[in-house]
Amino acid sequence: MRGQSQTQAGTGRKKRWGAAVSGLLLASLLGGCVGMGGNQQATGASGGSEAAAEGPVKLTMWGGVPPENGPQQVVDDWNAKNPDIQVEYVRYVNDDDGNLKLDTALSTGQNVDLFVNYAKSNLDKRIKSGVALDLAEFKDYDIDKMIGPEAASWKIDDKYYGLPTTRNSTFVALNADALEKAGLPIPQEWTWDEAREYARKLKESGFRYGLVQHTASYSDPLDSAMVADGYTKEDGTSNMDDPLVGKWLETLNAMMKEDGSTPPLGEQLTSKMPVENLFLGGDAAMLNIGGWLLRSSNNQKDFPRDFKIAFAPVPRLMENAADYTTSGGVGDIISVNAKTPNKEAAWKFLKWYADGGMMPMAPGGRIPASSAADRDEALKQMLGGQEATYDQPSLEYVMFGSGIPTFNRDLSQEMVDMRAQEYEKYFLGAQTAEEAMANMVKQHNAFLEKNK
Amino acid sequence: MGKSWLKRQSLLGYAFIGPNMLGVLVFFILPAIYSFYLMFTDYRFMNPELHFVGFDNIKRMLGDELFYVSLRNTVVFLLSVPVSILLAFLVAAALNKAVYWKKTLRALYFMPYITSGVAVAFVWMLLFQPSDGPINGLLRAIGVSHPPGWLSTTDTSMLAIDIIWVWFMLGYNMIIYLAALQEIPEELLEAAKIDGAKPWQIMGRIVWPLVSPTTFLLLVTGLIMSIKTFGIIQAITQGGPGNSTTVLSLFIYQNAFRYYEMGYASAISWSLFAIILIFTALQWIGQKRWVHY
Amino acid sequence: MENVKTERPEASRGASENAARRARFGEVLKPGKVLLTLIMSGFALLMIVPFVWMIGTSFKTPAEVFQYPVKWIPTTLHWEHHIRVWTGPDGFATYYLNSIKISLISTVGAVFLSSLAAYGFARIKFKGREPLFLLYLSMMMVPPQVLFVPKFIMFDAIGIYNTHWALILPGMFTIFGVFMMRQFFMSVPSEITEAAFIDGAGHFRIFFRLMLPLAKPAIATLAIIDFSWHWNDYENALVFLLDKNLFTVPLGLQNFIMENTVDYNGMMAAATAGIVPMLAVFLVGQRYIIQGVAGSAVKG
Repeated sequence: MRGQSQTQAGTGRKKRWGAAVSGLLLASLLGGCVGMGGNQQATGASGGSEAAAEGPVKLTMWGGVPPENGPQQVVDDWNAKNPDIQVEYVRYVNDDDGNLKLDTALSTGQNVDLFVNYAKSNLDKRIKSGVALDLAEFKDYDIDKMIGPEAASWKIDDKYYGLPTTRNSTFVALNADALEKAGLPIPQEWTWDEAREYARKLKESGFRYGLVQHTASYSDPLDSAMVADGYTKEDGTSNMDDPLVGKWLETLNAMMKEDGSTPPLGEQLTSKMPVENLFLGGDAAMLNIGGWLLRSSNNQKDFPRDFKIAFAPVPRLMENAADYTTSGGVGDIISVNAKTPNKEAAWKFLKWYADGGMMPMAPGGRIPASSAADRDEALKQMLGGQEATYDQPSLEYVMFGSGIPTFNRDLSQEMVDMRAQEYEKYFLGAQTAEEAMANMVKQHNAFLEKNK
Repeated sequence: MGKSWLKRQSLLGYAFIGPNMLGVLVFFILPAIYSFYLMFTDYRFMNPELHFVGFDNIKRMLGDELFYVSLRNTVVFLLSVPVSILLAFLVAAALNKAVYWKKTLRALYFMPYITSGVAVAFVWMLLFQPSDGPINGLLRAIGVSHPPGWLSTTDTSMLAIDIIWVWFMLGYNMIIYLAALQEIPEELLEAAKIDGAKPWQIMGRIVWPLVSPTTFLLLVTGLIMSIKTFGIIQAITQGGPGNSTTVLSLFIYQNAFRYYEMGYASAISWSLFAIILIFTALQWIGQKRWVHY
Repeated sequence: MENVKTERPEASRGASENAARRARFGEVLKPGKVLLTLIMSGFALLMIVPFVWMIGTSFKTPAEVFQYPVKWIPTTLHWEHHIRVWTGPDGFATYYLNSIKISLISTVGAVFLSSLAAYGFARIKFKGREPLFLLYLSMMMVPPQVLFVPKFIMFDAIGIYNTHWALILPGMFTIFGVFMMRQFFMSVPSEITEAAFIDGAGHFRIFFRLMLPLAKPAIATLAIIDFSWHWNDYENALVFLLDKNLFTVPLGLQNFIMENTVDYNGMMAAATAGIVPMLAVFLVGQRYIIQGVAGSAVKG
């Protein structure tokens, strides 16, 4: 009975749909032809906001931070003060799918006026497709001066296609109480050998793990080594068999298998090990992570803890401290869509955002990079009233005082993934360190050859 | 007269298929043709430049180690399909008439299919935990001193994925079998029972041949669908550890959506297409031996 | 008229089921059946572990999510995640309604259109039938990842990008559905339709009045499966929908992915709500997966 009435409704609908579908077929044949020529011109024209219309300019900004973690507050602040330019924040998840969505929107000319890039590889694609505006067009903001020398690492072909807005920080968070008990000082600079010693001792003092590492920070030491010694050798071939790579592989492997002071990588990955919980819950004494830890560590309700957190720079592989660079620098590169009809308005908002408008995002670990913003206020906000539970001198040291130069990973996603696969296989015992490095070099060379 | 009857039949046939064919043409065949064309280009998503590169993508694929690794992983992955079908048949047979609470039980067996993929991934990771997960706990309890590392080692990760996939597809295969079982004339089974056939004899000699069109359907579509699946693997291992669970479809996904190498992704896709096509053609020819309509 | 005709076997079926139910209360439990029930129930527990975790997590605190050994049933029920999902700024209720709309229309369309085509493939002999069907089948084999770009160019050109039509229209065509219904129609004994042909009925009449009612278990099954496909369709929705007010439930679940962590509590609360429609379709559909008329009609 029910099935019957369903199919009857279906018949009625079928006629209308039949017509609609045949219309579609024709249209799509035409559309298909347009598409076949690789012609993308149809897009830009539909660019959302009609600039000609009366009333406020409407801007849309796409970013990867959940709105409730600051961005909503930022645009609300702006909108209250600027009735003529109203900004809407759209959140995309900063993973493969989310970036695909943003790129789809950008290439169909949907109304995206501003967008945040989190990796050079993503920004690069957007520049190539012509959706990121060269900011040299605007003369009233000296990016090098306002953001500082670190901004230059985001230049592509010597141009700024986006404005770096945050000061990124990566560090090793330390259980200060445990270090004190074990008689270990808070390091201001250290090597991986020293870090391994720390981890071993801390493990002995009763922790399940001496050191755990967030997956986002995991391979930073490799890039640090590559920055010092070059991703490629002088003859243009891969340098992924650099001795420092071997050093990293063997040190971590020993920590996993001999000392048991850090979790085996295979287990960490396949159990989606919650490293922040391990650290804050007192199961791990040290955590290699970045500024985003603060959001969880400030949240004493969900993550209660009874120890102070201290901070140290990420350990280095090379002996000579002068050669060391650390991941971090400035980030959250905001681009203006080259196709937006509201360039000026977007730029106006962007400057305000960078020079302090973004303050509500500080509690999530996003410290403004611009020298015009109030850094102390940002730091205060970042600690969210929990100052007493942090070792502040060491925090300020890793954030502003260490003087260690920073780098942005400048390796294509393919190679980052390839490298990860090879070291995973090594840590799992499926190949030796030599084999891992040989494989990395082989595949890296093939990649370099292909993209010559 | 015969001729016009045939013509009329053809027209009628097209009338039935027409509406659906139109959609298949627009939403499957046209895009497929386009992607076939992309195979011979260096098209990268977002990049408006597009050059004809001939067979470069195919050559690259044949020289790409990861392609062969993914191919091997895919073959291992597909072993789960017949296993799941066979188990599903047994479950469906049991839940058809032979148990109490059959409606509730059917719903429970279908649950994996509708439960959130994130929950599925999370829980299986918990279950497979090598050091203190319940599966290895059980194995140790029954005397296995060195239980496998399951998802966390390169040798066993694909096996673990196979187990999860069998589990996942069970309810889906079961419900289709259940529908097929409803078509079997009860009288046949009654008659066999009266003749003194044992339940398993009835299952093996009467029911199994009678549902063979469904088995054929599940085998053909199960292989096709499994070969295209990557979501669940993406959620659990992202193809790792190493590249031990990177199957071809995940490899295609990474090339298309992570690296935006659409031309290359198309080349791999069409090779995959060729493989499934040959596979399916063989099954199609082979069906005459065992499928009874 | 039509209704009466199809209703009759239904009605008598219902009556006999009731009779059977009445009889069951009187009957003695069969030991074999009890044993099998227990075994199957045991395995059923294994099938619902993630489901239990999903519901459990939606009531836990964030710290409890990762507690080990796993707390399957939280000590105190935290309803706040469920409240957060429905009252939060993300408009989950809108996503929900969108999903219902898209999935329902797509499923009804897909089931009808594929039954129609399947009948053509299974019961009408026409020129090029086999090659055409193989072409159909081969289209199932193209990995969908590489169809996104062409589809996206096409949808953009015909103006259905960023509308629900971008999901509904393609969703109405399922090759699997055609294949499945074909297999069922092919196994319907020809004696059943021959009698109708002799009475002078045409193919359309036979399709609507005879075959569709006969195929109820298959139709219900296809509807259940197809509905859950549409309901869970994440990739298409992700690429083809932009406006928040058009979003579907799988997109809504993404809101619980934070920057470097996942809000499992919120996500599982949303996911728990998300399976209700699929479960409802299953439970309704299951009522039609009963001994069909086809089974009892061939005896003569």
